[in-house]
Amino acid sequence: MKRTRGRTIALVLCLALVALAALPGCSSGGDSDTYKIGFIASQTGPYTALGLPAIDGARLVVDQINAAGGVNGKMLELVLYDDKGTATDTALAAQKLIEVDRVPTVACITATGLSHGMVPTLNENKTPGLIMSGTGLIDASLGAWAFKPTSSEKDYIPLPLGYLKDDLGVSTCAGMIENSGYGEGGEHYLDLVAPTMGITVVQKQHFDPAATDMTPQLANIKASGAEAIFIWGSGPAGALAVKQAREMGIMLPIVTTPAQASSSYMESFKQFYEMEPSLVSIDSKLTMWQQLPASDPDRALCQQFDEAFVARYNRHPAMWEAIGAQFIMFIADGLDRANPDLSDIVKARGQLRDAYEQTANLSLFMGTHTMSPTDHYGRIVHKEVLVTYQDGRKVLVKTMTD
Amino acid sequence: MEVSTVLQSLISGLTLGCIYAALGLGLFVVYGVTRVLNLAQGEFVMLGGMLTVSFCSMGVPLIGAILLAVFVTVLSGAFLYLFIIRPARGASGSTLAFLTVGFAFAIEGITLLVWGWEYRSLTNFLGSSSIHLWGATIFGQAPWVVGMTVLMVVGLFFFFGRTMVGKALRACADEPLGARSVGISIERMALLSFVMAAGLGAIAGATITPLTMTAYNVGIPLTIKGLLAAFLGGLHRAEGVILGGLLVGLAEALSAGLMPTGYHDAIALAILLAVFLARPRGLLPSRGAAE
Repeated sequence: MKRTRGRTIALVLCLALVALAALPGCSSGGDSDTYKIGFIASQTGPYTALGLPAIDGARLVVDQINAAGGVNGKMLELVLYDDKGTATDTALAAQKLIEVDRVPTVACITATGLSHGMVPTLNENKTPGLIMSGTGLIDASLGAWAFKPTSSEKDYIPLPLGYLKDDLGVSTCAGMIENSGYGEGGEHYLDLVAPTMGITVVQKQHFDPAATDMTPQLANIKASGAEAIFIWGSGPAGALAVKQAREMGIMLPIVTTPAQASSSYMESFKQFYEMEPSLVSIDSKLTMWQQLPASDPDRALCQQFDEAFVARYNRHPAMWEAIGAQFIMFIADGLDRANPDLSDIVKARGQLRDAYEQTANLSLFMGTHTMSPTDHYGRIVHKEVLVTYQDGRKVLVKTMTD
Repeated sequence: MEVSTVLQSLISGLTLGCIYAALGLGLFVVYGVTRVLNLAQGEFVMLGGMLTVSFCSMGVPLIGAILLAVFVTVLSGAFLYLFIIRPARGASGSTLAFLTVGFAFAIEGITLLVWGWEYRSLTNFLGSSSIHLWGATIFGQAPWVVGMTVLMVVGLFFFFGRTMVGKALRACADEPLGARSVGISIERMALLSFVMAAGLGAIAGATITPLTMTAYNVGIPLTIKGLLAAFLGGLHRAEGVILGGLLVGLAEALSAGLMPTGYHDAIALAILLAVFLARPRGLLPSRGAAE
């Protein structure tokens, strides 16, 4: 008798705790003093390297805007959910934000492949949202409600290819492609664009994002006679591949995507990144703005953000902090022009969607965007740069306009 | 097909195989004594690596860092047994396995909070550099990994075969009632098995980190590979587990090096599936004792 009573009390307590925990999510949506911004990012799972910095960047911009009086007199509020690095949890989070939290807009910053799952959710629920996808393969299928104010590799892939061809005189290359949405996109555009720039892809190898030994693939690349290697991926294996290539005695020029340029990898693999020929990575202007000429139109924006970020978080922001930040910037710009009527959430979402579509010449960290009914990617100015590594620092090699 | 590519794939396969065999042995030690599938084994490996990196960065020399890392990981293994497994000892095997999964997630979460998401690395032990052989490369840390697994295997064989404690542990696995009736404390042996698995896992973790890097979330994929090794080889015999680990490693590396790109993983898994279907009770026949 005593035992069952104890268990019943424990059960009731547990249920009460669960109910309490669920409460914050149950808002009436009728709060018309704040703009709630649904924000889905990886706080756990394999993509925390993308999600956690993005959240920091987003928070900084939200606080900056609120400190300056908010948008239309209303404060911005981040409603944050963890996508746990799985497509299921991403979709669930989006559903919750749309139906329970009744947010006017959702931003999703996670690995490329995962964010594609958001597109149908946004379109079916008629909620305007932003997705972070690194590949141009998705650009044409965003529908009426999904927007992509970020990069597509199809636009920046000419940068490293041009560097290989014009600066290094390379005419053959090999691709080390990650088995992921991002890798798939990279492979697609490498195959498409390289020949038009006079470079033949003589070998392609694939690797798992969490692979720990890529020596068999690298051995194949070595045997192929390729003059340069493209490592295309967003997981840690890409950085490890650089180390393993150099340790195998493969001293070809290597180009990597932005993920490998993160400061954590730079620190762990400095010795290998800097070995001649030093690694070249696609990166954002934010990480080396001091090397931009004074005339560069983005220098001031980057400097401002970098200094504010360092003051708050005591570290320098890199690409993913920038993406988190620029999503908020895009949303704030849309909210400002739409001034949506929050008492009717369906109407508000429609108004915001229209405003997103009318975005014009919005200068963000990764590019300048002008959206249109037929183009929800709309990047008209591309701001990627190529950097290399020397004495523990990144050194500017080439910009899109050089 | 270049000789150097085949050779490189074999080297890679052997190294990976040793890592998976070490994982599998950790699973074997706990399962063999307690019949519990400890799905947190990968977390012990991860902790061993992360803690070693931390202690090294505090200035502790490598040997001391590894010893401290092993000590802390062993404490977590003891915690798992004393406060999670033992209180639930009446529960079914699958329930106990799920409890270890919960523990694994908890360790992952705590590690993320304490260390953050960044990947960390260690320099090769004694600064070993790569060896180049007939066009292929053996990474400096690879011999350490192979050596570590060999030592682990030899050590475990000696321990289980020649020492009183080892024999007591085997008695618990083979015949719990009989063991108790000769005065062996099952609970103490179970605790010892968890502690050993944690310690071995930590040593493995410290040894593989210079090769593979470590982060808060490498535990679960490692556990899965260890499970694969253990089930393929047969959890009832240590030799089987080692063989299973080598098989998984070689399948992975050889298909990466020699099979058409893009199909690597599918082919490797197909090979392993075929082996498992052919010998569902494990590669090696059981020694006759009831499982």
